[in-house]
Amino acid sequence: MSFEYHEPTSLAEAVALGARFGDDGRFLAGGTDLIIQMHRGKLRPRHVVSLHRVSGLDAIDANGAVRLGALVTHRALERFPAFQGRLRALVEGAEVVGGHQVRNVGTVGGNIVNASPAADVVPVLLTLDASVTCLGPGGERTLRLEDFLIGSGRTARRPDELLTSVRFAGLAPRSATAFLKAGRRRAMEISVVCVAGRLTLDASGERCLEARIALGAVAPRTLRAHEAERFLEQRALTAETLREAARLATAACQPISDVRASARYRRLLVETLVPRVLARCVERVREQAS
Amino acid sequence: MSKLALTLTINGERHEILTEPHRTLLDVLRTDLGLTGTKENCLEAECGVCTVLLDGAAVNACILLAAQCQGRSVLTIEGLARDGELHPLQRAFIDHGAVQCGYCIPGMILSAQAYLDEHPSPTEDDVRAALAGNLCRCTGYQKIAEAVLAVARDRAAGR
Repeated sequence: MSFEYHEPTSLAEAVALGARFGDDGRFLAGGTDLIIQMHRGKLRPRHVVSLHRVSGLDAIDANGAVRLGALVTHRALERFPAFQGRLRALVEGAEVVGGHQVRNVGTVGGNIVNASPAADVVPVLLTLDASVTCLGPGGERTLRLEDFLIGSGRTARRPDELLTSVRFAGLAPRSATAFLKAGRRRAMEISVVCVAGRLTLDASGERCLEARIALGAVAPRTLRAHEAERFLEQRALTAETLREAARLATAACQPISDVRASARYRRLLVETLVPRVLARCVERVREQAS
Repeated sequence: MSKLALTLTINGERHEILTEPHRTLLDVLRTDLGLTGTKENCLEAECGVCTVLLDGAAVNACILLAAQCQGRSVLTIEGLARDGELHPLQRAFIDHGAVQCGYCIPGMILSAQAYLDEHPSPTEDDVRAALAGNLCRCTGYQKIAEAVLAVARDRAAGR
């Protein structure tokens, strides 16, 4: 590989370089995906625009609504004090990405733009109704993350646009999140299936007011299980309703068979993990109340 | 391609390096500086033999451009021993028989070092999780975990 290296010090300068190079250029965040793709010869950018000297891109702002700069690392997510409680799924997603070495460098923005259907933090962000902000020569636009993800490795980002941040609203009272991942081993594993959930319960702690379920590695892009979510809302959360939600979530999947697992096994995993994730959310809401 | 002039602090020593932008930290350490204690294997951040500490945090030198390390501080296995004395982790790996073929050991020790700096009293599970990004194909994990735990205990006891 061979390329020209650029280190802009402002967003405006970074975007101008991105616009100048178009498809010949790539933004470099942590590089934990990009450099590997370049080593493999799958990507051959003639210009690499490193974002490290652009200040503020690694900031986390969590006063009320949450804003994650694109260069926030998985390590920073794992350790951020405000994410250890009701937003715990963010920590649970971040801490199963690669080894420490990758989490110390790999970024949330990179994880989103790379658009792997098996990304671990992305389903969590989907359950938080996150939106992403992109900055291009024509200005800034904000898209729902769900609309931003188009397919495997494909997003709505234009080549001259830079993803600058991810945002989501703070959680309503009596809400909790959870994330579970199935792999063939406990660490250094690409998800065979991963499931994220968020529930908001009513004052009785029995009925579901709002549900979010997102599924990784079961379709070309990370999926929301909309039907399962709608089914749960306004219902009492019993073992039976969780099972029905799992059935609906499984029906939404279009998994493939590959070296890691068969499509049938992936469906079985979704059917098992969805109720577990939801039950964990319920437990966590009740813990807050007690 | 134009070359980049980089200043890196490696094992406490300042180095001025003139290099092409595509070269990784691993390549520069091994080829330009002769620091071959940092090993090369998968080149895809899967195995961890190239682990070094960048400003104290463990990173895979195989997928990090040297350019990304401009102005920063790198610690490699060569920088651990002081005045001819092995670092306690190096000593413990020998004493516990944690070294078989040895290829993964520099990375193991640096991952352990970064972890213990932040987590002084780990359990065995913690140590195993901390070393998840370092593969040993001799599969000698038990003794490696024991060596790291012994160092943690010694540090806690002020030895």
